Amino acid sequence: MRARSEPAWKPKKDLTVLNRDIPRVDGPEKVTGAAKYTHDIRLPRMVYARFWIHPYPRLNLTKVDVAPALKVKGVVYVKALKEAGEDVRYQGADAAIAVVAAETPEAAEDGLRAMIIEAEELYPPMVTAEQALDESSPKIGRGGKNVNVREERGDEEAANIALDTVDVLIEESYSLPVQHHVCLETHGSVVDYRGGDEATVYTSIQNVSGTNASAARALELDADKVNVITHHMGGGFGSKFGIGIEGSTACRIAKELGRPVHLMLTRGDEFLMGGNRSGSQQTIVGGASKDGRLVALVAKADRFGGTGGGAFAGLPYIYKVENSFFESRSIYTATDSSRAMRAPGHPQASFGMESMVDELAFAVGIDPLTFRKQNLEDPVYHRQLDRVAKEIGWDAHPNKTEPGAVDGTRQVGIGFAISQWGSRSRPGSQCEVRIEPDGRITSTTGTQDLGTGSRTYVAAIVAEEFGLEVGDVTARIGESAFPTSAGSGGSVTTGCSAPAIKDAAHNAREAFEARIAPMLDAEPGQLVWRGGEVISAQDPQKSLTWKQACAALGSEPLSAMGEWQEHLRSQGVHGAQAAKVEVDTVTGELKVLKMVFIQDCGLVLNRLAARSQVNGGQIQALSYGLLEARVHDPDLGLMLTDNLDDYKIAGVQEIPEMISIMDDDDDRLAVMGMAEANCIPGHGAIANALFNACGLRLRDLPLTADKIIMGLSDRS
Amino acid sequence: MAEPKDPAPTRDTLSRRTFLKSAGGVAAGGMLTSQLAAEPEATPLKATAGRTLAGDVTIELDLNGRKHEVTVEPRTTLLSALRHRIEPPHTGTKEVCDQGNCGACTVIVDGRPAYACMLLAVDLVGRKLRTVEGLGSVENLSPVQAAFCEHDALMCGFCTPGFVVATTACLERRPDADLATIKRELSGNLCRCGTYPFIFDAAETARAAMAPKKGGK
Ligand code: FES
Ligand code: FES
Repeated sequence: MRARSEPAWKPKKDLTVLNRDIPRVDGPEKVTGAAKYTHDIRLPRMVYARFWIHPYPRLNLTKVDVAPALKVKGVVYVKALKEAGEDVRYQGADAAIAVVAAETPEAAEDGLRAMIIEAEELYPPMVTAEQALDESSPKIGRGGKNVNVREERGDEEAANIALDTVDVLIEESYSLPVQHHVCLETHGSVVDYRGGDEATVYTSIQNVSGTNASAARALELDADKVNVITHHMGGGFGSKFGIGIEGSTACRIAKELGRPVHLMLTRGDEFLMGGNRSGSQQTIVGGASKDGRLVALVAKADRFGGTGGGAFAGLPYIYKVENSFFESRSIYTATDSSRAMRAPGHPQASFGMESMVDELAFAVGIDPLTFRKQNLEDPVYHRQLDRVAKEIGWDAHPNKTEPGAVDGTRQVGIGFAISQWGSRSRPGSQCEVRIEPDGRITSTTGTQDLGTGSRTYVAAIVAEEFGLEVGDVTARIGESAFPTSAGSGGSVTTGCSAPAIKDAAHNAREAFEARIAPMLDAEPGQLVWRGGEVISAQDPQKSLTWKQACAALGSEPLSAMGEWQEHLRSQGVHGAQAAKVEVDTVTGELKVLKMVFIQDCGLVLNRLAARSQVNGGQIQALSYGLLEARVHDPDLGLMLTDNLDDYKIAGVQEIPEMISIMDDDDDRLAVMGMAEANCIPGHGAIANALFNACGLRLRDLPLTADKIIMGLSDRS
Repeated sequence: MAEPKDPAPTRDTLSRRTFLKSAGGVAAGGMLTSQLAAEPEATPLKATAGRTLAGDVTIELDLNGRKHEVTVEPRTTLLSALRHRIEPPHTGTKEVCDQGNCGACTVIVDGRPAYACMLLAVDLVGRKLRTVEGLGSVENLSPVQAAFCEHDALMCGFCTPGFVVATTACLERRPDADLATIKRELSGNLCRCGTYPFIFDAAETARAAMAPKKGGK
């Protein structure tokens, strides 16, 4: 039966739970170590499985002898995944030659060491763009090509004609390395199959509802007999949409042994086969008029996504340019495929665009804040840029139209950049709200919490509906047996699941009111739920406590389902970034002093968790800008950065003062995801701040001290 | 970037780093040199002198104030012993890099923070070990744990036990640590979600909560 009235978010001023700082409901479990992640699942008779991964990308296997591993103490299972004579075509999953399972992780490692695997390495390894683009190289990419044109937009001839008319013209190349997700919990699954026709698959995945079919296929069981569980996961960032070869292999071993199997990638394997953000090389020709209009832009961008196509958001990025042409190509190499990673394609496009905009601003002599606003039509960006400029102290900053000097001192600079994200959502998500006669209330949906705080709003939306506290409601998430929910990609989680939760809460309240209104001499719909009580709107003297109201249900719990409702969500996130840096013009040391980011996202469900996400996005951008790069030896073909020593990510000492602002001038009373716009512009803003400090324009990330010192010595 | 912690709590213990060094690269280069390791059965170590151990040995660990009997091999790290050998498994201590880069496995050994992945379990007999499970419980959070929850100093939470333990070790040893000291003490821990700013806030709140009351009884 459909509800009598449509669910609607309350105006912000009337909210008592949502749009406030809500400590996350699973915090106590996580800070005490009680939260069980996939890595932590321990089951009776469980075995530990490991892959034998060859580090070289292209091979012809000459010998694959896994039998010696079976003689190793503790090893219970070995299997060759490839045979002698077969080729390895790329680094990563295709180089998984064999798998072993043993009573302990150490015994599994012993088993790997006992295997005899020999191969002839095929040269060149095809790990660099140069190797891929070399005419004489083998063709290894999609469709038997190493290069594919992916996208063309605009009129190249018209844009080139317009470029002839500009007052200032700049042609430069910008590049960004391949970035890894570095989820602290690696990919993997623990498969609980002990015979029979049912199984439970614990897996670190951001798509719980969509995964039981593939797990069931690998287990050769019916999909409705397989429950996929992700109660907690140690990060995903876009890399964990399927169970992968690691999950399907664990399923097959479990099926064969009839024993639970624990197969989590090692950190080294994770770097080799866990996905990445594609690198990018862009050539941009941009032109502006003296008065600071972006007149024309011709941009060509290559994506380096390994065996995948990579991602690139397109140029011009956000800014209005009168005439433009954009072309993008995928360059294929024999390395692990790129995957979605937090705002796929946007950090790359943003860096090229924001650098070019900044270069043109200084070239025409207009300060970079004014220049940006002149070329942005959306007033949201104007107010957001003004706000971050104020917070970063732009007014009092000396270098407005000229950068600082290279004079042997430490120089301070400020840079800006902006971002956008769609946060589109779609139908399909469901939620169940259930109220027990003893007062317990649960909110159940198959969504997952990657660390975003989704579990907390699964409870908080229901608490808001019934005037309860968040802790009164139990959130149950992360099982494929629960009502279906969308995978967490493209910031759709909140837009998909929050409307369904709201709808379920609304339906439960209406059904509840129909039952108890007579007890309060009131009509359904004429009740107020507040402070743990339900009160008659006409006669505030008449009320029931939550417990009394629930007891009135008798012996049967009340259950209501909810579905995604389009009018409860919106889309379109805007963000603006400012960064302040200090550069030592003698040593090249670059320190980020302060970062400020503002973004809108309609109705904020949990301001505390939202600020955490904005902090996190800014820090990931800082990390990309300052430290991160996947590096291969071009001749040996080996990945030189397959560990957290050589692949640097931002740590405590890199963290500047950070201000994360939710844009409360956004009056859309609807929800949307918000975790991507904030990781897009930070590195561009930092590079612009470096220029602003000392006049050094670095166009190649990361901004390391060696590049800075070389650049500074070129200038002086 | 993470800065390494002192891998060994005292000098007379054998750290895993020195163990790997003395084992001459075989362990470290195992994957690449697998052809050399064709020997079917891992040769059992022979006891030759005083402290030399071989095969499975049963030791007693003093963990969170309780004695635990646990059977390990000489090469078993404390991290692996905690996660895979001790009953019930202590999985609050996380494995992320298994080579001393990230701090997710931080434990407290005789009052000092250490990476559990860089210590051999057999070296820790007689030492006082504390893990995240020993600091507080869901119903009874320690001041550091409560401050982490209050400030949202966690997102996915996978680095969180390591940060909670490192913060605790810092504030117990240096109750008046300023923020710069706290940051230095937490420099051996990595978080990918980017919780650092709120961890700093949480550490300062916890310091205030743990401070000995001035002028009290
Ligand atoms: S797991 Fe021990 S330092 Fe990373
Ligand atoms: S909270 Fe996810 S790694 Fe720190």
